[in-house]
Amino acid sequence: MKKSGSDILKSINLKALIESLIAIFVGFLIGAIVLLAFGYDPVTTYSALFQGALGSTTGIASTLAYSTPIMLTALTFAISARTGIFNIGAEGSFYFGAIAAVIFTNIWGNMWFGLFMGMVLGALWGLPAAFLKVYRGVHEVISTIMLNWIAWFFVLWLVVGPYANPNDPNKTLRIPPSARLPLIGNTNLSIAFIIAVFAAVLSYYILWHTILGYGMRASGLNPRAAEYGGIKPKQAIIWSFIIGGIMSGLGGAMKIMGEPPTYAISQGMANVYGYGFDGIGVALVGRNHPLGIIFAAIFFGMLRAGTPLMQIEAQVPLEIIKVIQGIIVITVAIPGLYDLIKNAITRREV
Amino acid sequence: MRKELLVFLMVGLMALSLAASGCISGGGTSSTSGTGTTTPAKPQGEVAIVYDVGGRGDLSFNDMAYLGASKAAKDFNLKLVELQSNTEDDYVKNLETLASQKKYKVIIAVGFMMTDAVKKVAAEYPKQNFAIVDGFDKDMPKNVRMILFKENEGSALAGALAALIAANSGKDTVGIVLGMEIPVLYKFEAGYRFGVKWAEDYYKQKTGKTVNINILYQYTGTFGDPGKGYAAAKAQLDQGAWVIYQVAGGTGTGVFKAVGEYLQAHNQKMGPPFAIGVDSAQDWIKPGAIIASMMKRVDVGVYNAIKDAVQGKFTGGVVELGLKEHGVGLSTVDDVMAMFDSLPADTQKQKLKELGFNSKDELKQYLENTRKQVPDWIWQAVSELQKKIVSGEIKVPAPMDKPGIEAVRNAKTWQDMEKLAK
Repeated sequence: MKKSGSDILKSINLKALIESLIAIFVGFLIGAIVLLAFGYDPVTTYSALFQGALGSTTGIASTLAYSTPIMLTALTFAISARTGIFNIGAEGSFYFGAIAAVIFTNIWGNMWFGLFMGMVLGALWGLPAAFLKVYRGVHEVISTIMLNWIAWFFVLWLVVGPYANPNDPNKTLRIPPSARLPLIGNTNLSIAFIIAVFAAVLSYYILWHTILGYGMRASGLNPRAAEYGGIKPKQAIIWSFIIGGIMSGLGGAMKIMGEPPTYAISQGMANVYGYGFDGIGVALVGRNHPLGIIFAAIFFGMLRAGTPLMQIEAQVPLEIIKVIQGIIVITVAIPGLYDLIKNAITRREV
Repeated sequence: MRKELLVFLMVGLMALSLAASGCISGGGTSSTSGTGTTTPAKPQGEVAIVYDVGGRGDLSFNDMAYLGASKAAKDFNLKLVELQSNTEDDYVKNLETLASQKKYKVIIAVGFMMTDAVKKVAAEYPKQNFAIVDGFDKDMPKNVRMILFKENEGSALAGALAALIAANSGKDTVGIVLGMEIPVLYKFEAGYRFGVKWAEDYYKQKTGKTVNINILYQYTGTFGDPGKGYAAAKAQLDQGAWVIYQVAGGTGTGVFKAVGEYLQAHNQKMGPPFAIGVDSAQDWIKPGAIIASMMKRVDVGVYNAIKDAVQGKFTGGVVELGLKEHGVGLSTVDDVMAMFDSLPADTQKQKLKELGFNSKDELKQYLENTRKQVPDWIWQAVSELQKKIVSGEIKVPAPMDKPGIEAVRNAKTWQDMEKLAK
């Protein structure tokens, strides 16, 4: 990590950065046209968005809080993508991380223990897809989609069954106060955000500054050439699933342990659903680069944190706001998506 | 590449200038076309309302809250600010954003699920008035009014109606389809069970025949998925349910669909079997298939909270509305028509066309005919129960937790249940 700045720059594709910035601009522009078409004032709407997301301490705090879980699930996707794997299993590991936090902090009310067990369960849930891929040749898209559903129903059973809160049947047991992540200052933002940024930096370090990471990236670019060069692509793939699972598991655990006021999984798992899928979008916008993902996640967080003020000040209904945000996200993801598809077409299978 | 970039930027700038000129001319209209909010000439203040994830358009809970808030805004010349919640994560953020603006006479949170969030934000902004519908917490800050309803009382009427309709047709099963498993819904379920048991007793005294009505119940886990409501109701109809009470917000529209399809398949225009609606007077949604609705007057609770805030009479704490206060009750045809009238004019027109009626009077007539499918003595029995509950002669249990509802489920008679209420 203590390499010179030019090293980091080298890992970032400048062209990619410029493309992303243009894409953001174009996305906002198309959004503005849609707003006009519906009869809303884009200037008021966008200024409400930025004021809500960045205009106050609480605004910034919620922007960063919203960005935390998707930053980690995006890392899952990106790490695998760099290894040439289309892993959409972040969702399942996220559920397991969340339920692990509930289960284990209620056994021992220690924060680090809860986070650790979240990572362990998240990583373990990455393994079935990894082994199926490496030893049986099952495509990871199929296996992770199906494993997500298995995770969903299994964790749902835990949520409504053994770990339901007897006093409050629409939630699980709460995280005991001793194991909740400390909040930063007088805000709703917990140290989960700092841990997530640290995880992103660590992912960058692993991918670009370790032998393991070199092997992963080499297998991602061309598994046969990598193998010829003495790298074991199968091992690299298994590691990518494990590290990815750790990230999402951590994300799930911190979602429950670091978010006031609930500190529990709610009924129907409404507060843990969807983050794995959102993470794919974040990873595409961040061009599958851990450092890019930090900013992409904050960008997504900003869109969400600005939503209430857009409704209040510009009186734009939530449905239209979601359309606008969808347009912006799609536009911004197009360059990353293009890369991904191009790589998928040109790459050969293991 | 560089040329492409330049072209891109130029196109962008042109579009932006277009957009800018557009908003100068179009700016005037945008404020009025907002979220259906009417902005009077000179508002005397502002009130805000936050919906839960079920959101507007559920034709029940959230729409009723809007009805009350918009009426109050009109009567007291206020600007109404509406906020929808995308996910549960948004509750704190939405409430906090509003509270930090420090300009609302009262902020209304619609729905039990916001209880934790209201408690937290209200403690941070002790000078801001809040009201929460359905939310209760014994440690709630003093600046929060908790608007609660005795759904158990209204649901008892629904249960009695359902059981007597079934018994009268020689059937022995009724159903209830519920949303998320939350304490508020336990009150609905308990009241319904109470009403069914009371009706068994009443039927025996009236006809001398013993009936044993079986109650099917299912929690669908959602308030916004008509598909799940449809599946649950269809399963209950297959098991012989003769009346199904829906307590599932937007999910419940699927219940109406299932009952409607059953009637169609049996070449019937009107039930039985029937569905019973909830929250608002929903009978107009599927005339013929819905015998009545258990109205929960969220609109009244919200209206009063705003009225009190405007007149400086706002108080925190619990405000509970029951049968006696007209906070809950079975819908009459007039209630249904009033609800129908509150819909936007073009929605009314479209709905009438869809149902095949030429005028509102035809709809009203049809609703009245539907009610005639149920003999008078049943309606009289229901109003007898209503009188007894209002006078306090009969008490309906209102369990708020799992052991409480289990006790009601296991009780054999309504007298046993009544003991649980004390």
